[in-house]
Amino acid sequence: MTDTIDSLFARLAADHPDRTAVTGDDASLTYGELDARAELLAGRLRAEGVRPGDVVALATRRSTTTAVLLLAVLKAGAAYLGLDSRQPPARRDLILRDAAVRVVLADKGLADDLDEAFTVIVPQDAVLEQEVALEQGAALEQGAVPAPLDPVSPGDRVAYVAYTSGSTGAPKGVCVPHRAVLRLVVGAQFLPVTADDVFLHFAPLAFDASTLEIWGPLLNGARLAVAPDGDLSLRELLSFVRDEEVSVMWLTAGLFHQAVDLGLDELPALRLLLAGGDTLSASHVDRALAALPHTVVANGYGPTENTTFTTVHAMSAPSGAATVPIGRPVRGTGVLLLNERLRPVADGEVGEIYATGAGLAHGYLNNPGLTAARFVARPDPAVPGERMYRTGDLARRAADGTLEFLGRADGQVKVRGFRIETGEVVTALTALPGVARAEVVAPRDGSGTRQLIAYVVPADDTRPSALRMRTRLADTLPAYAVPALIRVLDELPLTPNGKVDRAALEQRTVRERPEVNALHREPEGALEGAVTGMWSDHLGLEGIGADDDFFELGGHSLLAVALIGELRREYGVEISPIAFYLDPTPAGLARALTQAGVER
Amino acid sequence: MTTNPFDDPAGRFRVLVNDLGQHSLWPDSLEAPAGWSVALPGDSREACLAYVEANWTDLRPVVAGGTAV
Repeated sequence: MTDTIDSLFARLAADHPDRTAVTGDDASLTYGELDARAELLAGRLRAEGVRPGDVVALATRRSTTTAVLLLAVLKAGAAYLGLDSRQPPARRDLILRDAAVRVVLADKGLADDLDEAFTVIVPQDAVLEQEVALEQGAALEQGAVPAPLDPVSPGDRVAYVAYTSGSTGAPKGVCVPHRAVLRLVVGAQFLPVTADDVFLHFAPLAFDASTLEIWGPLLNGARLAVAPDGDLSLRELLSFVRDEEVSVMWLTAGLFHQAVDLGLDELPALRLLLAGGDTLSASHVDRALAALPHTVVANGYGPTENTTFTTVHAMSAPSGAATVPIGRPVRGTGVLLLNERLRPVADGEVGEIYATGAGLAHGYLNNPGLTAARFVARPDPAVPGERMYRTGDLARRAADGTLEFLGRADGQVKVRGFRIETGEVVTALTALPGVARAEVVAPRDGSGTRQLIAYVVPADDTRPSALRMRTRLADTLPAYAVPALIRVLDELPLTPNGKVDRAALEQRTVRERPEVNALHREPEGALEGAVTGMWSDHLGLEGIGADDDFFELGGHSLLAVALIGELRREYGVEISPIAFYLDPTPAGLARALTQAGVER
Repeated sequence: MTTNPFDDPAGRFRVLVNDLGQHSLWPDSLEAPAGWSVALPGDSREACLAYVEANWTDLRPVVAGGTAV
């Protein structure tokens, strides 16, 4: 491929110089202005010694200048690296060293503590200099440094380096080539862009959703609407989207759920709402579709290593389904579901997702070993010499070709000797009525034993019955995969990238059964077991015995009322508070239920 | 599901290379796919990765002769 992001943009700018390219609270630029400014700044970068193949870092606030800077870096033949302002300086410095960065484009106040070895260019100053130069009719000679030979074809040049956290915690730089970005945004069937479209820019540059946000409009003649800098509240963000008549926007799964809860309406210009980065709640998708009848809501799935999206599932009306599929591969990308012998699995069977095609990154910067272990030879004689990226995610393909996401392959844990896919338990939980989202972790308790603990977020104001969830789970999962504890939370904790913070959930302390008077007795029979499980869920205690006293365990009268209510809803019988207090143990409660006609 | 065949720390692997100079770890028990030649025959995972680290210096797919920017 001979096209690059910057060559395609330059063609668009030459064809339609007066069209609006980017708007924000600081400025508005046409395609012609954006191209001319980027060209000048590229000259400045070359003058600072930036050469093709280099990496230039950005530590900038969100503004219209961002587009100028990115384009300038690409015009200089270099790759850009968006630094995450929330990361600690030590990690930032590690990344800068790893990428051999010399030149940093940094807003005042954002990189003051950088080592003197770096050349820091303040974009605002550089842009001012350019304006003066432009007024004085400066030609672009300063950019006319002879272009050195590059051993790779233009489409294979690295456009950006995105750092992600590895399983070991060390950041790894994913090198994404121009062709991978073009395959995402030019002629994409999930995203037919017209010049009338307005894309929201809100994602941090360090996060690869920004690839879609920025190049989606700018390589299709559309407008990029840059949200004001800083931590916008969701309300502020949505009113910006309304005022700017944004037609395409991306939200992380976490933000999407919150936006639906807050109320998504009066967004008549919004044509496409993309969400993803984590599992979407089906009930929230349905509510969004009901609130936005003219909007397509799409679930976008994909690792950074396959450039923003690998698959997309677009929906235009509520479906009532329990889970949201991740859909089908985007154009230019293929998905293989393979077993451990690297053979394709049959439809309906669980396999690991391997991505193929033009979206593949080159690999991990300065890490050929890890690259060779993740980007591997593709066993298909029809396409000799091609690679595939193993995502580490599990899915199964339905008969109609759509893929259902089933969590991480390494989400496999061993609890009491049984192998359990936490993704499977999460899928079973989110399929339950009244459950919006769920996460399952398997932390070790004080004795070093793993326990399966589920956290669920209700779909509405009604708190789902833990007892009912348990009963239903026992219908679909083997007994050992039913969590020891099901806790209801208002919201799952999120990482800065909007993914569920599993580490935080694992660190949540789960209390063990305190010393009580009764000897520990394992519950006998289904009913006693169900009641004991329900107590564990409500008290947040594991290891409760069938003869344990409710009040010794820390129970109180309000909780007793909640338990009685849950039993009424589940079994249709009324236990009087007096009966409860007379024998406040799981065994006693099970007996009271039996006397009221419930089967043991 | 069992462990991914590429992640088995005790497994035997090979190193494969394609025409673009890209390297791939490959389970020794599986046939090498078309378009890939064996750069390092069966060895430990660790030795294969060390070989890749030493021999794959430019991650970009290299075109012979080079092209102008």
